[in-house]
Amino acid sequence: MNILVCIKQVPDDSVEVGIGADGKPAIDSITKVVNAFDTYALEMAARYKEALGDDSEITVLCVGPDEAKNSLKNCLAVGGNTAYLASDAAFSGSDPSGVAVIIKDAIAKLEEDKGAFDLIFTGKEATDAALGQTGIYLAEQLNTGVITNVIAIDVKDGKAVAKQETDEGYRMVESDTPVVLTVSKPDYDPRYPTIKNKMAARKKPIEGFDASILADPSLVGDAGAKVVAIKTYEPPKKEAGVKVQEESDEDSALKAIGMMVEAKVLG
Amino acid sequence: MAYLISDEAKDLLQDVHEFCENEVKEQCKEYDKSGEWPKEIYDKAIEMQLHSLEIPEEYGGPGLSRVDIAALIEEMARADAGFATTISASGLGTKPVLIAGNEEQKKHVCEVIVNGGFGAFALTEPGAGSDPAAGTTTAKKDGDSYVLNGRKCFITNGGIADFYCVTALTDKSKGVKGMSIFLIDAGTPGLSSGHEEDKMGIRTSNTADVVLEDVRVPAENLLGNEGDGFKIAMQTLDQARAWMGVVSTGISQRAMDESIAYCKERVQFGKPVIKFQAMQFKIADMAIKIETSRQMNAYALNLMDMGKRHSKEAAIAKCYASDKAMEIATEAVQMFGGYGYSREYPVEKLMRDAKIFQIFEGSNEIQRIVIANNTIPR
Repeated sequence: MNILVCIKQVPDDSVEVGIGADGKPAIDSITKVVNAFDTYALEMAARYKEALGDDSEITVLCVGPDEAKNSLKNCLAVGGNTAYLASDAAFSGSDPSGVAVIIKDAIAKLEEDKGAFDLIFTGKEATDAALGQTGIYLAEQLNTGVITNVIAIDVKDGKAVAKQETDEGYRMVESDTPVVLTVSKPDYDPRYPTIKNKMAARKKPIEGFDASILADPSLVGDAGAKVVAIKTYEPPKKEAGVKVQEESDEDSALKAIGMMVEAKVLG
Repeated sequence: MAYLISDEAKDLLQDVHEFCENEVKEQCKEYDKSGEWPKEIYDKAIEMQLHSLEIPEEYGGPGLSRVDIAALIEEMARADAGFATTISASGLGTKPVLIAGNEEQKKHVCEVIVNGGFGAFALTEPGAGSDPAAGTTTAKKDGDSYVLNGRKCFITNGGIADFYCVTALTDKSKGVKGMSIFLIDAGTPGLSSGHEEDKMGIRTSNTADVVLEDVRVPAENLLGNEGDGFKIAMQTLDQARAWMGVVSTGISQRAMDESIAYCKERVQFGKPVIKFQAMQFKIADMAIKIETSRQMNAYALNLMDMGKRHSKEAAIAKCYASDKAMEIATEAVQMFGGYGYSREYPVEKLMRDAKIFQIFEGSNEIQRIVIANNTIPR
């Protein structure tokens, strides 16, 4: 099985992000990590590969700045066999459809050496902008099927069988391969890198692609973006509440209910 | 500020930090209450290979410098000192073999650890603590084997180890010169673990008696020669002590981190108490003690890496870092005020955890004897 996992490097989502002086999210000082949903995708791919127990290979691909190499090395420590970074100033400002074009052209290059990919994993969304579109655009670009919100995967008789998470529960979805799978949180966590795997991963080369791989450069970057963020807002600050403290608890409760009726929260 | 470590170790430190935050720190709170040995946490740590950092590269270890390893162990101790103590105690159990064992013995113990086992060093006896020469455990030669009898106590990993390095007198008449060390695998008939200590702190580590009743081991299980035991034991402790300095410093760092976080939140007299210089000076004193502890730990470990003498420096590192850990943890409780005395807050545990580091692996009084003996010209 020839497996590709597409990852994005994002600011650590456990850190609160403010708006900087330029009106954009101030993320420069926040540690960069692999998008959580992409780590689930890689873990799912690694588990699937281990279950097969054959010579399946996992290639990891990232579109991002040069510093994203660090994230790719982390991926090599937890299941990735080889890793590639698509990085060029011309890619900057790409919207999800532009990123999908870059990935499509990078896949074409990778497939020259590695042969066709059977399964292409992405996270269902990134934890920074949470647009959740890249995987779907990618399937469109590749002219393959796409199964979203995947929480388990198997391949039987040449067909991918995925467990798709829905609001009500899950459903089983079957698709021809190659197929793009956008992964949600499965019922397990990604593994921690072992000390030795991490040390070995640090020594592995990360090869790169630049804008010369693009079949149509007009589709990427700021100029190619069809979606533009006009303004970014911070969530409203939580305002201090009203403190109710009457003589007895009963009086306090009655006063609080009275205030809520007055504010038409309760009818 | 921290240890000066390689880029590789910095990367690993981030992984260890994440692991400890997600899998150790909060989880150990409950185990601290119950006193249960948290096997599932150790299983995860083993999977990540955190237990075999000290194993030499040629026997399957990662091949990091001791200071690199110290940074990782400190991070584990910051999460839970008992957790770090268990991991370090396997290193302690392995050291007599690495110091005096033959190739086969070295391979054996390293393989056990790399494959997820634990080791223990059994020196202390009920009547032989600071004075190991008063030990009564004996090993009698009988043909091609030795037969051991006695009782060891306060043995870290005593109830869970896969192998033990046990000191025993092969010749009672010679005092410490009649002491020898034997490598004994768990499961050897006659070897059992006894009473488990219900400890004040480091409650996620196992401390138990090890009982030897006619334990017969082949003569090749002797480490080095008959009579080498005391020397090997002292060399073992010389090395191990610096690591206890490292674990102590992890407790200190945690205590300072918790104090800063609390003092930023706690408002009195209309402002967070961190704004008061009285609190700032306490934090500054903590930082001074932590950084100086680290420098001494690193110096002792660097000497070890260089193959140089380190008895005095390791004793200073252990003695100083553990005294400072106790001071810092006590000060942290003070800074938390009444909440510091409550089990709902994290610092009283640090105070309980810190205390043992002034006592075990040579009490700090014994460390001062070692330091004096290595300082005063004869």
